[in-house]
Amino acid sequence: MHIADFRAKLNAWLDAHHAELAAPFAPPGTLDQRVAQMQRMKSVLFEADWMRYGWPEHVGGLGGSPMLRTELGAALAGRDLADPGLFSLIEVLAPTLIDFARPELAAEVVPRLLSGAEIWCQGFSEPGTGSDLSSLSCRAEPDGDPDTASTWRINGQKVWTSLAQYAERCVLLTRTGPADSRHRGITAFFVDMDTPGITVAPIEMINGMHEFAEVFFDDVVVPADRMLGELNGGWSVAMSILPYERSSCFWQRIAYLYRRLEMIVEVAPDDDRAAEVIGNAFLHLHMLRSRSRVTQHRLADGATLGAETSIDKVLVATGDHIVYDAARRLLPGIVEMDDSDAGEMWRTEYLYSRAATIYGGTAEVQRNIIARRLLDLGTDA
Amino acid sequence: MDAAERSLLHETVRDALAGGRTGSGTAADAVLTELGWLEMLGAEPRDAIDIVFTTLGETNTVATALDDVVITALGIEPSADLTVVLPPFATSNFPGRITDGEVHIVGLTGARIGRVSRVVVACESDVGIQRVMVPAAAATAAAVRGVDPDGGFHLIDIHHDAVDAVPVEPAVWIDAVAAGRRAVAHQIAGACRTMLDLARTHATERVQFGRPIAKFQAVRHRLAEALVAVEALEATLIAAWDEPGPMTAALAKATAGRTARTVGAHCQQVLAGIGFTTDHPFHRYLKRTIALEGLFGSTETIVLDLGRELLAQRRVPTLIEL
Repeated sequence: MHIADFRAKLNAWLDAHHAELAAPFAPPGTLDQRVAQMQRMKSVLFEADWMRYGWPEHVGGLGGSPMLRTELGAALAGRDLADPGLFSLIEVLAPTLIDFARPELAAEVVPRLLSGAEIWCQGFSEPGTGSDLSSLSCRAEPDGDPDTASTWRINGQKVWTSLAQYAERCVLLTRTGPADSRHRGITAFFVDMDTPGITVAPIEMINGMHEFAEVFFDDVVVPADRMLGELNGGWSVAMSILPYERSSCFWQRIAYLYRRLEMIVEVAPDDDRAAEVIGNAFLHLHMLRSRSRVTQHRLADGATLGAETSIDKVLVATGDHIVYDAARRLLPGIVEMDDSDAGEMWRTEYLYSRAATIYGGTAEVQRNIIARRLLDLGTDA
Repeated sequence: MDAAERSLLHETVRDALAGGRTGSGTAADAVLTELGWLEMLGAEPRDAIDIVFTTLGETNTVATALDDVVITALGIEPSADLTVVLPPFATSNFPGRITDGEVHIVGLTGARIGRVSRVVVACESDVGIQRVMVPAAAATAAAVRGVDPDGGFHLIDIHHDAVDAVPVEPAVWIDAVAAGRRAVAHQIAGACRTMLDLARTHATERVQFGRPIAKFQAVRHRLAEALVAVEALEATLIAAWDEPGPMTAALAKATAGRTARTVGAHCQQVLAGIGFTTDHPFHRYLKRTIALEGLFGSTETIVLDLGRELLAQRRVPTLIEL
């Protein structure tokens, strides 16, 4: 289906089914409400086939360009039907299974993720591993010879694991090489979260939500056929996510930021001070959207996305700050002193937006990558 | 034109224009004529404007191709014997006003004013927008030294009978401003690329504390910031051509102005002492972008107008789709 036709049909369908899809509570709601709402909405969308476009047939999809699912995510974000931070987790989880799991496993579990029957989480970060992912230490030991072992035993800790307390499964990175093997000694596993030995401890974030958790692994036994990709090939599994995270996920986030700026524009005072703040935010969002569009067209044309997406990342993170700063400037008190549902929403999101320059590689790491890889300035040591 | 043809043409134009840095623009104009600029502008305006203006920016060259872009948008056949009056600096106002059969014109022109016989001007009047052709001899044209004495800019003042006034649709002027903004934004983008290139080269060659300053993270991050700005500007120019219209052109031009400031500031800081002298070419690029930023509206006025428009509509248009 041509993307413009798809967009038109999708929007018409979403218009007609808004009531069915919309949350039965005022935003932001509790995290429990938001997660339940997202899963309910995904099941309605899967039933109506919208969640299946852009995914391969062998995992329950209907095929077509991945841009189709980007359109869906953006349409939902622009209509405030989905929080892209939670909804677009699909984009960093399903492709990993499709590209690296046994085909039978992918065919069994991916439809369960798409249809809202399951939630998955991503176990990458660790207490000692923030921006420097290749230093991770959560250990997986084979039961015997690594090439023939039937099970692996996992010990260690993950942190910043989104929605871990709700998740049925986890895409987990473990250390399987020597402690100093860096990116050469990492292996990925697909782990059932009800396996004995897993403990989840939610973390209260600065906005009062518990979106992230610590996850502890204490002698957790995982079948060898749950290994994703090659033994010690976990780094390429981790890196394979980048193109999705930096294209589809960003486009959804951008749609959400346009909608948030529009909410400000709907009620801001009609004066030049407001016009200047709004004009500047609009300028930045347009820059960001223009850049992201170029990136996605490159991806669709077969390009391999790499270091140049650090530019997209810098622009998205800055955009997040600009839009929520505009809310504070033009809707005085809404973040600071307003206990209504609207105040709660803006406060929660404002506080969350401060993380935009931290997660997914900090602003500083992105600039280091740009300097070394795009400007060819050599190493900084 | 495919990517390879565009790249070849860009190289050809760059080679042809290299070193042609005169204030009158005659040398570069001759080169562009030789390359078939007007034919390209007629047949493939996007590629022609992108390549020519980017190169003018990259090479700090003065030419008068902007006249042809704006004149074409006003619905007139461009010619070497015709120039156009641009809006007064930092505005997108009409340069002309017709009252009681007289036209009063205040605005800017490029270097072509010194060698043409006619001047075309968009004017507002009580009966709508009109296009007036006046003899160049009627114009008081003062070459501006200003911040960029080599830029070829002139301040224009004309009082003349409004003979041969032709009514034009408001959309024609809006399109002409949009066309001018896209072209100038390309030129600024080209200049920004060169400023970054100069600063990058300096950072890898200049040694302090026993190593090239490019090894210092503070320096690297400034250059990274500049690259983010330039690449974002180039993306808005793609958007401005894929979805041509007044708003995408305004956004590209405002982004260009802001990018020039970001890139100029970071690169000047990295170039440090040498960037503060006229021994190094950086100053020419910085000054050119400072002057260009005010053509067809300053960054501040464009941003303010965009914000007012959004407030009037009470919505935020996404403008471009996948």
